Amino acid sequence: MTKKDKLEFLFKGKKIETFKLFRPILMHFAARFSNHTYAEFASDYRILVESNLKAMEYFDMDMVGLISDPYRETSAFGAKITFPAEAVPVCEAPIIQTYEDVKSLKNPDVYQNFRTRDRIDGAAYFQKLLNGKVPVIGWIEGPLAEACDLSGVSYMLMQLMMDPDYSNAVLDKCIVTAKDFARAQIEAGCDIIGIGDAICSQIDRDTYDLYVKDRHREIIEYIHDRGARVKLHICGNITHLLPSIKEVGMDILDLDWQVDMDYAYEIVGPEVVRCGNIDPVLIQNKSKDVVVALTQNLLQKESGRKHILSAGCEITVNTPVENLLAMRKESYVNKI
Amino acid sequence: MDELLNQIAYCVEFGKINLQSPYPPDMKGQPGADELTKEALDKGVDADMILQKGLVVGMEKVGIKFRENKIFVPQVLMSAKAMNTAINHLKPYFLEGNIKRKGTFVIGTVAGDLHDIGKNLVAMMFEGNGWEVIDLGTDVSSNKFVEELKNRPGSHVGLSALLTTTMVNMEQIVQEVRKTAPNSKILIGGAPVNEEFKTKIGADFYSPDPQGAVEYLNSIASN
Repeated sequence: MTKKDKLEFLFKGKKIETFKLFRPILMHFAARFSNHTYAEFASDYRILVESNLKAMEYFDMDMVGLISDPYRETSAFGAKITFPAEAVPVCEAPIIQTYEDVKSLKNPDVYQNFRTRDRIDGAAYFQKLLNGKVPVIGWIEGPLAEACDLSGVSYMLMQLMMDPDYSNAVLDKCIVTAKDFARAQIEAGCDIIGIGDAICSQIDRDTYDLYVKDRHREIIEYIHDRGARVKLHICGNITHLLPSIKEVGMDILDLDWQVDMDYAYEIVGPEVVRCGNIDPVLIQNKSKDVVVALTQNLLQKESGRKHILSAGCEITVNTPVENLLAMRKESYVNKI
Repeated sequence: MDELLNQIAYCVEFGKINLQSPYPPDMKGQPGADELTKEALDKGVDADMILQKGLVVGMEKVGIKFRENKIFVPQVLMSAKAMNTAINHLKPYFLEGNIKRKGTFVIGTVAGDLHDIGKNLVAMMFEGNGWEVIDLGTDVSSNKFVEELKNRPGSHVGLSALLTTTMVNMEQIVQEVRKTAPNSKILIGGAPVNEEFKTKIGADFYSPDPQGAVEYLNSIASN
């Protein structure tokens, strides 16, 4: 049975004798694990892919991913991105501030920009190396996150309150590119597309419903129509948004450590695969024994439910290898 | 007079900046913190009274609602904008010493970290609560904090970090600040930090929300 088969069984709710699926988000940790700088990881798909594969094999992870930073699409839109050696790439300045700026902003050709092209090439490289046996998670920036990347976070959040024309115009631009980028990654071999819309945890439910919910649904339907599944990732506490999020149609929902897994199960229902949700800071800072206890507690709660074992968000770069291994080993005693 | 001050507090609480502002929708066409503050000053209301009974009251409500998840970041940003608009009218009175600040709060996101939303929210809350705020921005080194504190004795310090990779830089800043300003209170905040980390690095206070930090330093200032 391949890792892809296992995931399909999980989606379909079939009880099989296999281990709990395990897939924490790896970025900086994977780069360091392979002795690469984060700048190398974020700017060269070969390094990103090979680092993920090395981590996948060592920790027996059930999926691999192409996530690195929020600025792939922002770069394609025309922003200047710099690459500090050991930090997430930096967007030097917002590139839109007025309605006129938005109107003149051109949706990029994702095959032409080096940063979006790099991720597309990464998807193809994964497929070449894995022969389709391991689920590959592509990644796009969600519409509100991308709007914030383009406009500046504070400015965009205030525009949501002040200027619906600006807000709708920029969000509409963002979903065009989100779809283009998702399609390109699916055609290159991704089985799942992750949508990262971190900033949504910082807005109220009414604002989410007004500006984001239907756009999430539209992107998700578009991805489904092209044969891939969707993983929605919103960092932080999304408890207040769950009643709306349950309606957007994602297949996998990442839940950060602030969200109660039982409550999320109650709200989003048994069919959505929930991924999470141990606090990554605890996985980094606590002893192996504590990590084992946290994992056991979570797995006990999630027994019999559609769940992928993970941290609430990215595994931090300084996480001890033995702690991550302990999580994986603990999951061997649980069945999906 | 009380009615006018209540209106200013209400505008800050609900983020009504000025007459032209379309937000909040149910106050469209009404004067905002801008016009009402100017009106109060024109009518001879004491500037310190406007700060204490208008802006501070409004921002305290904002801080509490934010802590209780009744409002979120966009609403806080709108309130801060309304407050800043009002404070602009009060600036001459600050410069003349007619308004007494509770103290000075030096804040920055620590070295290596470029995130500013959390830091900005805390800075806004402090400013709206009658503190002089010196915002050193993001990626702030221990040297920069120390230099600022040398020029502003008696100030307190706020350190923000969003990343696990940068929260560790707080420890060095705490150590350097302690050498220069042993009586300054050092507050920390940000997604990866907690009470345990505060104790480990020797800071004085951790708050998961801006209002908690404000209440802590308010209590220090009132003693």
